[in-house]
Amino acid sequence: MTRNVRSATTVVAIIAVALAAAGCAESAGSGGATSSGSASGDIKIGAVLDITGAGASLGVPERQALEMLAAQVNSGGGVNGRKINLLIEDDQSTEAGAAKAASKLLSTDNVDLLLGASRTGPSLAMRPLAEAAKKPMISLAANQKIVEGSKWVFKTAQNDRVVIERLVGDMKANGYKNIAIARDASGFGEGIPEMLTEVGKDAGIKVVKVEKFAPDATDFTAQMVNIRAAKPDATLIWGIPPAASLAQVAYKQLGIKAPVYQSHGIGNQVFLDAAGASANGLRAALGKMLVADQLAGNDPQKPVVAKFISDYKAKYGQNPSTFAGHAYDGFTIAIASLKKAGTDPNKLRDALESTSSSPGVSGVFTMTPTDHSGLTKEALVMVTVENGKWKVLDGPK
Amino acid sequence: MSDLLQLVWSGLALGAVYGLVALGFVAIFSVREIVNLAQGEYASLAGLSAISAVAAGVPLLFAVVVVVPFVVAVSVAVERVAVRPVRHMTPLVSIILTLGISTALKAAMLLFWGPEAKALPAFPGKDFVFAGVSVRSQELWILGVAAVVSYAVVAFYEHTTAGKALRACAEQPIAARLLGISPRTATMVAFAIAGFTGAVAGVVGSPIYLSSWSSGLTLGLKGFVAATLGGLVSFRVAMLGGLLLGVLESLAAGYGATGYRDAVAFVVLLLVLLVRPQGLALKATGVRV
Amino acid sequence: MERLRGFLPLLVLAVVLAIAPMVLPVNLVNMGVYALIYGLAAIGLSLLMGLAGQVSLGHAAFFAVGAYTQAILVTKTQVPGMLAAVLAVAASMLVALVVGLPLLRLRGHFLALATLGLGIIVAVVARELEVTGGTSGIFGIPKPSFLGRIYDSPQEYFWLLAPFVVIGLWLAQRLVHSRTGRALGAVNDSEVAAECLGVNTYALRVRVFVLAAGYAGLAGVFYAHWLAVVSPEAAGFELSVTLLLMVVLGGLGTVWGAVIGAVAVEALDEGMRSFIPKLIPGASGEVQLLGFGIVLVLLVVLLPGGLAQLWARVTRRRGIAAATAAVSRAEHDGNDAAMEYSGLQALSRLLAQADVTESGSPLLSIRGLTMRYGGVTALGDIDLDVRAGEILALIGPNGAGKTTAFNIITGVLQPTAGTVTLRGKQVQGRRPHVIATLGATRTFQNLQVFGSTTVLGNVKVARHLRSRSGIFRGMLGLAGREEREIEDWARTAVAALGLTEHADRPVTDLAFGQQRKVEVARALALAPALLLLDEPMAGLSGTERDSLAWLLRRVRSAGISVLLVEHDVDAVMALADRVAVLDDGRLIALGEPEDVRANPAVIAAYLGTDADDDALVRAAAARTVPA
Repeated sequence: MTRNVRSATTVVAIIAVALAAAGCAESAGSGGATSSGSASGDIKIGAVLDITGAGASLGVPERQALEMLAAQVNSGGGVNGRKINLLIEDDQSTEAGAAKAASKLLSTDNVDLLLGASRTGPSLAMRPLAEAAKKPMISLAANQKIVEGSKWVFKTAQNDRVVIERLVGDMKANGYKNIAIARDASGFGEGIPEMLTEVGKDAGIKVVKVEKFAPDATDFTAQMVNIRAAKPDATLIWGIPPAASLAQVAYKQLGIKAPVYQSHGIGNQVFLDAAGASANGLRAALGKMLVADQLAGNDPQKPVVAKFISDYKAKYGQNPSTFAGHAYDGFTIAIASLKKAGTDPNKLRDALESTSSSPGVSGVFTMTPTDHSGLTKEALVMVTVENGKWKVLDGPK
Repeated sequence: MSDLLQLVWSGLALGAVYGLVALGFVAIFSVREIVNLAQGEYASLAGLSAISAVAAGVPLLFAVVVVVPFVVAVSVAVERVAVRPVRHMTPLVSIILTLGISTALKAAMLLFWGPEAKALPAFPGKDFVFAGVSVRSQELWILGVAAVVSYAVVAFYEHTTAGKALRACAEQPIAARLLGISPRTATMVAFAIAGFTGAVAGVVGSPIYLSSWSSGLTLGLKGFVAATLGGLVSFRVAMLGGLLLGVLESLAAGYGATGYRDAVAFVVLLLVLLVRPQGLALKATGVRV
Repeated sequence: MERLRGFLPLLVLAVVLAIAPMVLPVNLVNMGVYALIYGLAAIGLSLLMGLAGQVSLGHAAFFAVGAYTQAILVTKTQVPGMLAAVLAVAASMLVALVVGLPLLRLRGHFLALATLGLGIIVAVVARELEVTGGTSGIFGIPKPSFLGRIYDSPQEYFWLLAPFVVIGLWLAQRLVHSRTGRALGAVNDSEVAAECLGVNTYALRVRVFVLAAGYAGLAGVFYAHWLAVVSPEAAGFELSVTLLLMVVLGGLGTVWGAVIGAVAVEALDEGMRSFIPKLIPGASGEVQLLGFGIVLVLLVVLLPGGLAQLWARVTRRRGIAAATAAVSRAEHDGNDAAMEYSGLQALSRLLAQADVTESGSPLLSIRGLTMRYGGVTALGDIDLDVRAGEILALIGPNGAGKTTAFNIITGVLQPTAGTVTLRGKQVQGRRPHVIATLGATRTFQNLQVFGSTTVLGNVKVARHLRSRSGIFRGMLGLAGREEREIEDWARTAVAALGLTEHADRPVTDLAFGQQRKVEVARALALAPALLLLDEPMAGLSGTERDSLAWLLRRVRSAGISVLLVEHDVDAVMALADRVAVLDDGRLIALGEPEDVRANPAVIAAYLGTDADDDALVRAAAARTVPA
């Protein structure tokens, strides 16, 4: 009898010790449960970002931008006297990681607003959680499925559809009809060939080959060989670094002459570094930040973009990427709405929806109850790479 | 046709990297029955270290030459600190042990180098086109180095006294000890050789395939598959197996669905293990139980 | 009485799990939910790895099958949640069966790496198929509603999980102490011995593999609902490693270790995530891997038995050996049927149950038995019969092929040619357990006792064929009467060999000669018609040899045949009814001991001279003729 009691006691003891150890570590981080919609005290903003994993080239600059901005707001007295408590979680670039992080932020930390994720797949995973918790969420990712029909979810990155529209415009102007596509196999690339076919129908654009690549792929020979064999007029590579840059390199390596279009997922220095000389001559529709110095003087975005670039550079010693820009937009729109409406979820959401003509880094935002993305194709410029630097091709059409 | 050649060529280059990793598995297993699950991490470590060295201003080839002994030292340290103290080494124990080592190494690399994949600058040389096939100079380096290293390793194990002594250790440890061959030294040398081939695989492949804290896993696993084709005891078959595996993967990606390319290696592994188990046992005596 | 004692720790656990969500802060309860989910999967893995001794590096595959099946059924069809859960678990088990049948023919490293390959294949397939949602997976899985309540907070989910974990643990524990658990433990200790005692090791391993997958599949179901998303990394290698770590940390031999290990690993995970960024600023991501890796290495080097070993060390200081003996004696206290037999009575009783055939009829027939290894012929065209109720000795100089012949007869080796017929059925090339079912078993030259259990435990395994309860009955604890019978017969066999006072001691504590006797007791407990002994006299003292010889004569007079391989020619000549002599793989003599002893060819074989060396041979022959 005693032996079993002893073993049971040990079991309990071990569990207790383990829990205590974890508890000690945990309590330093997030606190215990607090009631939601608190009218005073710190405003909690949770951010789920791809800090490690395939999306690290997005998540890391996003985190840096958010940390910088939160510090700026807090040193300026906060929002209506309330400080911002920024809680950043790493989703490890996976859907499950995003769900786990969002779940924790929503139910354990009781955040007032959720930012994230960096990419489409994890954002889609977070969406049902935000909607079930009835808290506003601002995604930093591209696919419009993230906000379609949603009451609580918004986004600041340009919709992929808008990007495609811009690219189609350029393809039409240059007379490219047969397009080959190499796309990211994850949520970011899902539906792109179909979208291109649909948007490009009137321009006579046809998709002649579709190849997929894993976000962490390093060898693209198979895909590019097949694309070369399809003899397209132009090729669209739809992915993020490092895959997008390696694909670019492989494409040029095989001596394929047709011009390359890239998505708006390449908007950072990491892409240029990895792609090197093979990036020269590509065409992409990107946000204005990368070519801020080439913007017109009366562009309403110019002062916003310029300040962001100089603040970021002063703090981190390098230029920000477009993804840092998406984070900037998410945060500033959130702050503006918090200033207007406080932390009550419904009022906050309404305030977000009423964002109008607000110049940000990714574009000029106008949200409506039916449009939670707020950007049109005017937010983008056609850009190319010349001698390893971004260069504007033309103004917005 | 040039498509096919292109696929085969890039498959061979990738396969040579697999083969180099495979040599490391065989080096250890043929001396002591340990499957070193940390083999792939040697490659990542070498690649990342070389990248740091180059970023710090060290000339490329010099960095490569310096990094390889570094990783060899790490491998020997691993043997000393983690493998030697274990008193009763069974397959289960060795797997868990090397798994732990692999995990710790990965995490250390993550902490030190961060999560992003990085590339070493390509070795000197020019890319060119031959018979419609685009050939990167780095690919030539990979194949050349792989050939030289394989030859050297085989020559060591089969034609030098030291190498033969190592093999003796595996087959008859007690007899070997009576002859003055120390199993401890043998294990250490085996780990050193494994570190060597892994490091070479890492630096020579990094310019094309990139190095990151997590790139060792699939590389190690595929190297293991190549090694099992040789029964974990044949260096020649391990290298050839690696080449074959690389080509199979490339063809599968090109003519089949690209997404399944990673599965190719493991389907091959399962087929080999199931269809020819006798060929893989160290002692083929027909004992089934 | 005994059952109640087994219940107590579980009861305590149940209480702890019931109270925990009420007293712990929410973040710890959240951690606890993950610990319970993975712990459930780890219980199954612990059975597989600890009990059955098979490493699985791809266990997450079954976890993912359960999770994905549940996710797909719940989001894309109208199947109600609970039915979907049953189907999901069934799916995991089905996949395990299909995959396990070919895979479990492998062992050791190769099995481990094959399971690794399996895990990766499942992950790749999950990533590529449309139905599993590709890279993004399936999301929007609703929280479960059960009895009118939606379980969406950590506390509620914890309470939902707790009963499943407690019951899962209880069933696993019962299995460990059942006939199946005993057989598995035996397989783990000595697969060949277990086979020769009639345990179908392959079938058993497949069954445990499937059972472990069932646990993982159920855990996957809970995972799917909790996370609301299932993506390909549910099958990932990282998860398989985490599960492995939980089992190893808790202690490989115990199912409790799985749950403790799960809690410890989750705590370690959370702790490291908070701790390492403080130590190394800017560190992020999967930093807890560093802790995992170091813990694994330290475990292997310093504490291979995991936390359970630590626990055992602590309790050992309190004289646990005595306590164990007291407890096990108390355990069969209420068992009135188990009388203490005297040695002779026990022996008679034991031998009487053997299923013997008519004395003198051929029990075992060997025809044309040949074994070739490459260019070497180990056995060439051997013909031999063993009759019922006789002792046949197989002798010959070293390298003659005796052990080879023995191994072929007992099914351990497959011959190149020839037949072995036992009781009218051809058995050459069949597995040893088949031969055991026909009533033949063996002992081993290099002892193959089951080192992890007691003397009694060793002998109980031999009753495997005379009992029937499988996994199902074992888990539910419905085999009480059968277990008592097994205990009874086992004690009889132990008493018959005079080992009663050692019955409850770990077999490895015994002297070599006594361990030999344990093997004999074990073999006899199977109630064989044919007993095969591989050098039973080796390592025994003079009196021990006499005692064994006496025993074998008693065995023979009960109608049981004995085939023994021996080097001690004198003992053999005195004991055997007939002697067969092998030299260089050929049968050179067969007959009564006196005839064989005088046979010139036999003498030549032993003395190593040519048969033409007449003077020497005649002298030797002259010496052996009785005066």
